[in-house]
Amino acid sequence: MDEQLLQTIVIGLSNGLIYALVALGYTLVYGIIELINFAHGDVFMLGSMLALTLLITFGVTTGTDPLTAIALIVLVLAITMAVTATLNVTIERVAYRPLRHAPRLAPLISAIGMSFVLQNVGLLWKGPANIGFPDVIPNTNILTTVLGLDTSVAITYKHLFAAVVTIPLLIVLTWFVAKTKQGKAMRATAQDPDTAGLMGIDVNRTIAITFVIAGALAGAAGLVQVLYNNTTVWNLGFRFGLNAFTSAVLGGIGNLQGAVLGGIVLGLINAFSDRYLSTQWTNAIVFGVLIGILVFRPTGLLGQQLADRA
Amino acid sequence: MSSLITPVEHGRTGGLPAWLAHLASSAANWPTAYRARLQERPRRTVLLSALVVLVFAYPLLNRAVLQPFSRNVFPLPAPDDTTVVFMLIFATMAIGLNIVIGFAGLLDLGYVAFYALGAYSAAYLASPHWSGVSILLFSDLPAGFPGIHLPFFIIFWAAALVAALFGALLGAPTLRLRGDYLAIVTLGFGEIVPVFFKNLVNVHFSFGPIQLVNANLTGGPLGINPIDAPELFGIKFGVIHGFNAVYLALAVVAMSIVIARNLERSRMGRAWMAIREDETAAEMMGVNTVRTKLLAFGLGASFAGFAGAMQASYQGATTSDFFMFATSILVVIMIILGGIGNIWGVILGAITVQYVDKTLLGWVGNRLKDTGVAIGSPQLGEINPSQFSFLLLGLALVLMMRFRPEGLLPSRQRAAELHAAPPDQALGSAAVMEIEEEVIEEAEPEDVDATTDPPPEPGAASGPPDTPGRPGGVT
Repeated sequence: MDEQLLQTIVIGLSNGLIYALVALGYTLVYGIIELINFAHGDVFMLGSMLALTLLITFGVTTGTDPLTAIALIVLVLAITMAVTATLNVTIERVAYRPLRHAPRLAPLISAIGMSFVLQNVGLLWKGPANIGFPDVIPNTNILTTVLGLDTSVAITYKHLFAAVVTIPLLIVLTWFVAKTKQGKAMRATAQDPDTAGLMGIDVNRTIAITFVIAGALAGAAGLVQVLYNNTTVWNLGFRFGLNAFTSAVLGGIGNLQGAVLGGIVLGLINAFSDRYLSTQWTNAIVFGVLIGILVFRPTGLLGQQLADRA
Repeated sequence: MSSLITPVEHGRTGGLPAWLAHLASSAANWPTAYRARLQERPRRTVLLSALVVLVFAYPLLNRAVLQPFSRNVFPLPAPDDTTVVFMLIFATMAIGLNIVIGFAGLLDLGYVAFYALGAYSAAYLASPHWSGVSILLFSDLPAGFPGIHLPFFIIFWAAALVAALFGALLGAPTLRLRGDYLAIVTLGFGEIVPVFFKNLVNVHFSFGPIQLVNANLTGGPLGINPIDAPELFGIKFGVIHGFNAVYLALAVVAMSIVIARNLERSRMGRAWMAIREDETAAEMMGVNTVRTKLLAFGLGASFAGFAGAMQASYQGATTSDFFMFATSILVVIMIILGGIGNIWGVILGAITVQYVDKTLLGWVGNRLKDTGVAIGSPQLGEINPSQFSFLLLGLALVLMMRFRPEGLLPSRQRAAELHAAPPDQALGSAAVMEIEEEVIEEAEPEDVDATTDPPPEPGAASGPPDTPGRPGGVT
């Protein structure tokens, strides 16, 4: 195959994994309370800012001893996930739970309001400019340096890092939802909150736990964003969030495997559009895909797990 | 003033011509109708008349009294002419979006697309952009002057028509989506349109007879300028004639109010509200939901076309940067804040939000600066309240949804809906509680966490009014 094509696929896959992490947050929340959580992208943005701040505080930078760096990155990952999870569940408590029985558009509008609040918190915290972060994870090509292959396709430590953080989280989440008691409660609540309540499931607690998981995933994605793309900015959450939401819709909203697949497909679409068309059209193409999917196949690629909820 | 125009009772009999005839006869009967109204409801009529007079005197008052007065004495600053014009432009948009969201209940998060389409339509028809041609109509420009230069009263309607057409075009495939999916599709549309206006600058395109080589279709990031200032009867209304422009914008808002009020009370308006309440029920009652929603979308969009034409002609320039997602949300905030479903409410919302955003926050910043200097801590002046505007608006949205979802000046019907607990909620939750206790007793511990969890709050599991029916079936 064409090496350029392969490279585009590598970039698309690793970007897609980050989209998948955020998309899971959208799909979990939509699956359980049918709310497009507009604020989710901004929780991700705040997570990336927090991770960046922590990494700088701990002195992680280019040339830090690899073992120390890995230990500190794991620590930062844990803190960021804990903080964004708390933030997300607080948002649920303050902005969405009181509106549980309001008309359907009320929580959506509340979510938009929350999104603006979080964006501006980021703006006040870090200012309007793009914030850069040095390369901690080296951009060395594993294929040529480690495996000794003769190729111009680059799979770097960064690509590896995106996969190493993302894939275990996806596996743990799938296991949690499919196998644990709490996961069963989540699926039951998603299917029918009233009946789930009748069966003795604490609906409010289950929803709160869903928000905790979604927030933690957004925090993890924030750290990956900082280390992988080396930048964050206050309005990152809007663009990135819409991409992630598109991924969720693409895969079939409410469907966890679908969100991952959608993330990867969207990552590839983005990469191909960047490479072969022009970056300035990428957004239009993403939204075009979103509109096309919603109009022609609203259940997404894998279909919704929940019948007729859109 | 719209209270003087009695609504058309049956929209079906005659359509647009009948409506125009009705407007004409209302206008002709104006003095008689006013006298009758004065006798019927004297207080309301006098108050409304006073309000109308005040509104039309306001720009004069503003310039002659309020601005100098506020600079020195009055505690609150008076807005300048440009801010007033934009208050009114946004009021026009709020009236239009209120038709889509407030009347028909379709959440449109990409309304800015129609604003952009209106503005660019106006720009195309009244600027030197198409420098290869020279089409002049009622223009005092010299013959052969490059570009298309049509008079304002034509481009104004053309912009509305273009916006309405695109509204229908977007609506046709998407309106069968429900609720939040529609919101996302419109959001996507609102993002795509400005991208097109920004990027279609060096277009190479060849399809059959159409050959474009390096064509500049939209002016790219620079946008289009200069755009001719609006001119009616030899009077100009551009940004350098701010004072005149306020009156033009007032006239546009007044016209929008009349149209929207008549639409609200027409057969179509009742169909919109029926769809908002319950789409399935409306369809059962014989409402053609697709056509009705399309009309809401298209008609709502046409108001953004008016607003776009005003923006482009008034400012004499337009660029894609005017048309961000934030602008769509700004109009939504105006509607929610003012009172969704109520025309007067959304106008109040538009004026309030625009005033706070453009005038009040800047003024607060200046006061902080003065205070900082006076008390010897100049860092107080470095706080710039204007940069908090979206933070405040976001908070306002969250708080309004929580505590007063019907807005400052609600429509009575909407307020009742938004506050109505499901009619038999008390009964419902009692029934749920009973069932729950039984379930908890019987539940297998390994099935779910039932035994360790406290039972849900009564309100949590009660849900829609049909809940009591289901437990009945279970027991």
